[in-house]
Amino acid sequence: METMEYSKQKFEIDDGGFLRNLFPWNEHIACVLAEKLGVEELTEGKMDIIKVMRQYYLEFKSFPILGVVCKNLDRSKNCVKEEFVDPLIAWKIAGLPNPGEEVIAYV
Amino acid sequence: MADKEAQTVTAGAAATTDNDKIQAMLKYDKIDYQTVELTGEIILPTEPVDKCFAHIKPQLLTDKKLLANLGYPTDGLVDNWKEVFLRKMDEMLKKYKSVRVFMDICVKCGACADKCPYYIGTGDANNMPMARQELMRKVYRRYFTVPGQLFGNWMVKGEELSLELLNMWYTYFYQCSECRRCSVFCPYGIDTAEVTMAAREILNSVGLVQKYLHQIINNAQTMGNNLGMQKNAVINALEFVESDLQEETGIDNIRIPIDEEGAEILFVTPSADFFASPHIESLYGYAKVFHQAGISWTMSTYASEGGNFGLFIHNYEHMKKINKRIWQAAKDLKVKRVVGGECGHMWRILSSYSNTMWGPFDWLDQRYPIPEHICEFTLNLLKRGALKIDKSANDEFIVTMHDSCQIARGMEMGGTEYGQFEIPRAVIRYVCDKFQDMPEDTIRERTFCCGAGQGLLGDDMLPTRVKGAIPRMQAYTAAKQAHGVNFIALICAICKAQLSKMFPTYGYPMEEVGGIHQLVGRAIVLGAKEGV
Repeated sequence: METMEYSKQKFEIDDGGFLRNLFPWNEHIACVLAEKLGVEELTEGKMDIIKVMRQYYLEFKSFPILGVVCKNLDRSKNCVKEEFVDPLIAWKIAGLPNPGEEVIAYV
Repeated sequence: MADKEAQTVTAGAAATTDNDKIQAMLKYDKIDYQTVELTGEIILPTEPVDKCFAHIKPQLLTDKKLLANLGYPTDGLVDNWKEVFLRKMDEMLKKYKSVRVFMDICVKCGACADKCPYYIGTGDANNMPMARQELMRKVYRRYFTVPGQLFGNWMVKGEELSLELLNMWYTYFYQCSECRRCSVFCPYGIDTAEVTMAAREILNSVGLVQKYLHQIINNAQTMGNNLGMQKNAVINALEFVESDLQEETGIDNIRIPIDEEGAEILFVTPSADFFASPHIESLYGYAKVFHQAGISWTMSTYASEGGNFGLFIHNYEHMKKINKRIWQAAKDLKVKRVVGGECGHMWRILSSYSNTMWGPFDWLDQRYPIPEHICEFTLNLLKRGALKIDKSANDEFIVTMHDSCQIARGMEMGGTEYGQFEIPRAVIRYVCDKFQDMPEDTIRERTFCCGAGQGLLGDDMLPTRVKGAIPRMQAYTAAKQAHGVNFIALICAICKAQLSKMFPTYGYPMEEVGGIHQLVGRAIVLGAKEGV
């Protein structure tokens, strides 16, 4: 467990690297998380993916099929892997909780 | 001052409980793994490949709510663990007579020793099947035989219960994928997987519960699928697949029906088939087969999972509860047939255990197999020319087939002898021109595990997975060298996930891994009118 801070907002990261709580989260916090995860720049393309993942989670409480994310953005089927290599990185930057062992194994 | 001293004493005392000690012993550490050079030869190790295997501990489940749901202790190792351990073991030996027989009849001939993929991969003598089972046998001899009870360890080469022994159990019963390859070679027919299953359930009863496996059992029992997807997420995923399929084929009425009452067939498949890659490609294949056959079918959001991890531990209740969802969905949706997709242990449970748990299924159409495997279903259509096939769609592939353990060493398929080997191969031959088997001692009933079956697919098990995959990787390499094979076809979701991770790890493209219905889906000519 690690506690981080951005502009006086504290947020906790669990041992797996996932944000402990859904809030606070905003684009600035996403940038802090991205830097921590070794993603150099959160381009617009990457940020779009992150936002769709977050939106999806808020509605379905699940990890989306990656194709759904790309279709939403009207991008190629492999867009998440092209941008992040490991889709879990995008998920972590989106500030979403540990999706469970089976998702991690299959994603 | 006195208070401070008292606190120190308490803290000191807390650090020495058995639970604290075992938690320290089983602490998960990320361990680096090493691959081997692929030569196409399976070489038996003469010494341990590296020394790390005694230190590989899968993560423990610590979520109290989950543990309580599953009926296991919530605070780690229970105080009276020795008592609980022996009581549970006694229960296992009485409930599953087979386990007791297997404890008694091993003569340590060593026929199994070099048959285990984990032993071949790690060279760790504790991974020899008889050595793994010996971990339980020595407890059995000490506590459950008369000479052991009367005269103790020296008489029966037994062992007292200790934290060290628990540590060994947790380590090595989770370096076994219950693939049962060793059982094929055992002259007494000892089913070593049953011993592992019993051992895991005994560990659970004292509070040492492996995270990956049990989190999934809980997901399947509460959400209906291993991935823990809510109903609306399952619907969203299947609707996406359907629209993608319609777009790709240009056919508007090709469908993935969901919860449609009165359909002819209930189709159950692992949730990975509508989540992961390459699994999803097979889902396209199934949908194309059903569409072209013109048979009404449906998937269920209630039984949105074919897999059943309850099999992997000797806890019949978990398995029964998960399995019930399938037959309940079949009843509720008033279907006439149940067809299962590409999943190894799902098929073994559906075909070998379901009838005992929830049968007889006299309310289903008796003219068809109950249940029916998708390969069997597709082969029947192919045999009577009901599907038009363009093999040239798969011309780029020289295909081989990996027999998944739970199917290969399960009961049967199609009601025919060796159907589980012949039916999937026949489907491949109908849709591909070029098929080559891997070496004889690595396929069919002697097939090697993918290296991640039965609860070992977690990321925390990567070092074990990388080593356990060695025999399969070498066999694939041999087929590549001899015949130029460039595609391995499977009918198991776990094998697909494991191999599509191991292939890049060993330097092969992950696109060389896929399902049999992925190949069917590519070759099927939609809209053709022949046969149907």
